[in-house]
Amino acid sequence: MLIDVKNLSFKYSKGLPTVIDNLNFEIKEGTITVLLGLNGCGKTTLIKLLAGLLDSNEGIIEYDGVDLKKTSIKDRSKKFSYVPQKNFAGDDFFVKDYLTYGFVNSLKFYESPSKEQLIKVDEVSNELGITHLLDKKMGKISGGERQIVTIASCILQDTPIILLDEPTSALDLKNQSLVLSLLKKVANSGKTIILSTHNPNHASFLNTNVILMSDGRIIKQGSANDIINKEMLSGIYGNNICYAEELEYKEVSFK
Amino acid sequence: MNKRTLIFLLASIFCFLIVFSLALIVGKYSITIPDFFKAIITNEEAYDTQRSIILNLRLPRTIVAGLTGIGLSISGLLYQEVFQNKLTSPDLLGVSSGASVGAAIAIVLGLSSIFVSVFAFLLGAITVLLTIFVAKVFKNKSSFTLILAGIIVGGFMSASLSVVKYFADPTTTLASITYWLMGSFENSTMEYVYILLPIVGLCCALLLILSWRINVVALGQEEAQTKGINYTFYKFLIIGIATLLTASCVAFSGVVSWIGLVIPHIVRLIVGRDTRRSIPLCITFGGIFMIIVDILARSFTKSEMPLSAVTGILGTVIFVIILIIRRKENAH
Repeated sequence: MLIDVKNLSFKYSKGLPTVIDNLNFEIKEGTITVLLGLNGCGKTTLIKLLAGLLDSNEGIIEYDGVDLKKTSIKDRSKKFSYVPQKNFAGDDFFVKDYLTYGFVNSLKFYESPSKEQLIKVDEVSNELGITHLLDKKMGKISGGERQIVTIASCILQDTPIILLDEPTSALDLKNQSLVLSLLKKVANSGKTIILSTHNPNHASFLNTNVILMSDGRIIKQGSANDIINKEMLSGIYGNNICYAEELEYKEVSFK
Repeated sequence: MNKRTLIFLLASIFCFLIVFSLALIVGKYSITIPDFFKAIITNEEAYDTQRSIILNLRLPRTIVAGLTGIGLSISGLLYQEVFQNKLTSPDLLGVSSGASVGAAIAIVLGLSSIFVSVFAFLLGAITVLLTIFVAKVFKNKSSFTLILAGIIVGGFMSASLSVVKYFADPTTTLASITYWLMGSFENSTMEYVYILLPIVGLCCALLLILSWRINVVALGQEEAQTKGINYTFYKFLIIGIATLLTASCVAFSGVVSWIGLVIPHIVRLIVGRDTRRSIPLCITFGGIFMIIVDILARSFTKSEMPLSAVTGILGTVIFVIILIIRRKENAH
């Protein structure tokens, strides 16, 4: 098992409610896992705990049997890369420069990317079809292109696991499809992907492992087929949804 | 370094040398160019006065002006990158307010100018430590909390300055405090250069080495940390360097406004945000700007104009021009 989460609990500070409540789950290598649930159910907090951006109050997260609390920031960044939900800090950087920042954990403090690493940037850009964006600023490309560039940066970071926090939340349908298809492709290359979403259709489209969350707890975990059904979803999303099972992918929409 | 950056860097180094030489020639005591060369190359007694003016008065103050320009420009750039806010200035964490209180106390106590600088530096540094301490009390690691703590401590220091000024002698020390607060290189000596040069030099060297990594820190905690950067360490290292530069410069020159805001904006307009390109240009542009300000401050009126008056006038005009250019750029 690649990741083993045991009795994980978290609250932002004393006196505040528990955001993550005694979670237990395992994630296998080379799989896509979707954290599914309503806004505020703890998906982002869980992604941040896995990324090492927050420290758990109780419980442990093991990677290959090693407690991640005992690993350094640098070592952790060699295992997990991360796509944040929103980040406008990089708006003024050129795409070609932004992509090289994925190499920072393999360089000494006085080094900048080598020629070989710059060639690797060109190769990955070519593979993902973003070569035409390299000379543009991050703030001047579309939301979908931005997500693909950020995922490209994670590929260049070369970690076995990629964490994505609501990667499609601000995208139109075309770009949602582009990003999700890219994630499938990346998973097929052997990477383990964990993403959060509030949209059950994304879990259905990816047709993979789903962890259904509510109020910081896991309601159910299993395959998309098991989780995406009327009883399970109406318990979370309410009765005002309709559900089409006869399509290629099970689809959930408003009534 | 790309071609555009290299061209601007070489051109600005050339301009720096021209402006530096000009600063040694121009002033209230008129020195012609042939006399300037005779004074510094030959040992002829006929040029003793010119030699003394150039080497003992103009050379130290021009070097101090250049170093102050470099230090304040770089620290402005660093604060803006770390706090991801292009409108932050070197005084963000209360360095200048603290330094002002330190200098005012030393002036009221009747201490010599070197002790005024020492007091200014110490109080400037202590104020930043106090800001960090106040931010810790809030138990919130966000940059916003640190900025808020800076405003609180800066406000306290401004109030303390008013108290010191209230107790100052209105006929003597109060005028000195007011003059110091507006900034001047009038008292600069080679001793100032010997202290300031290694500080600014070492900080610049370290920043040039770290320049690529500063870009990653500028992405913010989430991205920087997950890419493998110890964000907290680098953030406080960069803040520490920026504070050291600001406190050292302000200690010798008094409070100089606008430069930490204007120069990073001009540089980013030319070479973009990548600190591998912006730091070298901040060094040359900052030095040129402050030497020009010093020439203007000591040349056009009978008594010297305060630095902040000149930087304020130039800074606001340049800032408006930058905003117009930026607006046009964004429209495209």
